[in-house]
Amino acid sequence: MLIALENVCKIYNQGQANEVRALSGIDLSVEAGSMLCLKGPSGSGKSTLLAIIGCVFPPTSGRAAIAGKQLARLPDRFLTIHRRESIGFIFQKFNVLPELTVLENITLPLLPLGISPRERRQRAKTLMERLGIAHRENFPAGQISGGELQRVAIARALINRPPIILADEPTAHLDTPLSREFMAIMQQLQAEGKTIVIASHDPLVFEHPAIDRQVAIQDGRIHVP
Amino acid sequence: MMRPSALFALCLALLCLLAVLLLAQGQRLRHRENAALGRLLVATSALGLTDLALSTEARYTRHPAVSDPMAPFMDHPGAIEHFPSGVFWAPPPR
Amino acid sequence: MAKRGIEKQLNILDYALSSLWRRRTKNLSILLVFSAVIFLVASFLMVSKALSDRAGQLLVAAPEITVQRMSAGRQEAIPLAHGERLQGIFGIRRVVPRVWGYYFDEVTGANFTVLGVDPLQMPGGDGLATALARGRLPEEGEAGMVVVGQGVVETLALENRQLFSLFRPDLSLKTLTVSGEFAKETGIMTADLLLMHPAEARDLFLIAPGFATDLCISVANSREIETIARKIAELLPDCRVLTRPQIQKTYQVVFGWRSGFASICLLSAVAAFIILAWDKASGLAPEERREIAILKVLGWETADVLAVRFWEACLVSGLAFLLGMLSAFAHVLFFSAFLFRPILLGWSVLAPGLSLVPALALGDFLLLAAFTVLPYLAATVIPAWRSATVPADSALGG
Repeated sequence: MLIALENVCKIYNQGQANEVRALSGIDLSVEAGSMLCLKGPSGSGKSTLLAIIGCVFPPTSGRAAIAGKQLARLPDRFLTIHRRESIGFIFQKFNVLPELTVLENITLPLLPLGISPRERRQRAKTLMERLGIAHRENFPAGQISGGELQRVAIARALINRPPIILADEPTAHLDTPLSREFMAIMQQLQAEGKTIVIASHDPLVFEHPAIDRQVAIQDGRIHVP
Repeated sequence: MMRPSALFALCLALLCLLAVLLLAQGQRLRHRENAALGRLLVATSALGLTDLALSTEARYTRHPAVSDPMAPFMDHPGAIEHFPSGVFWAPPPR
Repeated sequence: MAKRGIEKQLNILDYALSSLWRRRTKNLSILLVFSAVIFLVASFLMVSKALSDRAGQLLVAAPEITVQRMSAGRQEAIPLAHGERLQGIFGIRRVVPRVWGYYFDEVTGANFTVLGVDPLQMPGGDGLATALARGRLPEEGEAGMVVVGQGVVETLALENRQLFSLFRPDLSLKTLTVSGEFAKETGIMTADLLLMHPAEARDLFLIAPGFATDLCISVANSREIETIARKIAELLPDCRVLTRPQIQKTYQVVFGWRSGFASICLLSAVAAFIILAWDKASGLAPEERREIAILKVLGWETADVLAVRFWEACLVSGLAFLLGMLSAFAHVLFFSAFLFRPILLGWSVLAPGLSLVPALALGDFLLLAAFTVLPYLAATVIPAWRSATVPADSALGG
């Protein structure tokens, strides 16, 4: 199992007046090479679950093993290192830095790895050509279209060659053709052996034929209809 | 394209070069000054000079070391003025 | 692995540089203001140090002991008989009377120092001719011959004439002939001098023949200056006895209080700048929070994010320090610190030719850095710890 969650709970601000129980008793396992969709309304806990799978923080209790590592045992620093080796993130608003160029945005995860500019550019170039944004290389990210922005976000998620791709509401800011295109790219990536987890409540995503499995989240629990 | 740190290093190197040139010029002038030092010391010793001719407008500024302690007192009883000629800038011409 | 580590720091440096460049208006203005502050402090330090160094260098040749007669708190002419009474003190090599004073030139508004002394009686006097740019020293008994400093030449426009006249106190004219000029390089000591024989100076000031302005005393052994000075003071109770160490000390004090006064003013400017920098650095703008969160979730460690901040602060303050120091050096070297001359030297009608070579020891350098760069680093890097508290997951979700 690439992703194995057992009885995972997440409580924010534990012990304080504003304590929030975001997840409780989640059991989930995902095989390598599959594509999973987490669906549920906003506030249901999907983003929190995605953050735990993405090694952003460990669960409050329970066991979470991602790409062979138990998160609870990892100190913060190693969590970060594990994250950048195993996870590629695609965010809801793409989270690119608008003043940086497309190339700079895509290669951001490579900087702390000590990879030289020439190698960074080579790696990014391959991805940009594949995703059809090579002509935008030196454009500031704030000046390109939404569809291109989405490809920049995908390229950035892939640049570290992670086994797992996570996407948080990736189609929320895209129109139907662009959403279809996004899913087509995901399908290709899956075919290459990536494991993909998408959090979305967009039917275009969870009803897509490439989705192996849907998991509904409601009030911090897995909802079995 | 050059990476920013290389560009910065280049600018830094240029600045350092400028610094070295400035220091070299300073060193050159110091040598010149030191060459004049012998003549200055002869003049100082042969004339019994006690003060530098930096400000010539009052005796307690021209010769602060040997003017009597009352000299600034004549300007104003509370004056502790020692070096500049009373004020920083010259009085307007008459 | 070490290569990877260096490459990583280079990458972070690149990122810091480009992020400085992205906010270039803000950062350039900080750089400019910071350099200006350092420029002011450094120029001041350099010029006052250059002046006091120069004074220290030259005043080793000042007369060992100077004796002045005081009357009613003022300096008065000293009878030559006083000098003869000193001959008995063991250790005194020679006693040379000098007649000197000031001459105010009504036309140009300049003050000259008229010095009547026979150089041949003074230590090193036979070498004085080397200090002249042209001409010769007046011979004994030659009437009206004078050696002038370069400042006098300029003020009285003596370039192409030999003769000029000065008024005696009774308004009769005394005609003088220029027999020589002091070299320009000796200007810091001789710029305003009119050197003549004591008899000529007495004639100009109408001082009675048996009197002088002060007595210059040279001693055989410079370690005995204090002892001999005490003996003189006992022998001549109406006189003030000045020793060479006292003269040297005067100069340290004179430059000391002026530059201390200005330093305090300038340090408050530094403090104001640091407070401003702290204020700017301690608030974390929303877009900065967002950037930090994105970097963190993309796999930047907190230490990497802090390193960006640290590099930024180092680059700005290091560059400002370098620029400030260089411009201060140039300001003192090429422009003789013209911005600070009014404060350090006051004004002068007869401007003494002054060339300053800034000499900064490593210690001054470090002191200056400690007062400017270190507080800036502290004020900008310490608040950057805040960026460590930005959680990575704030980049997630809507």
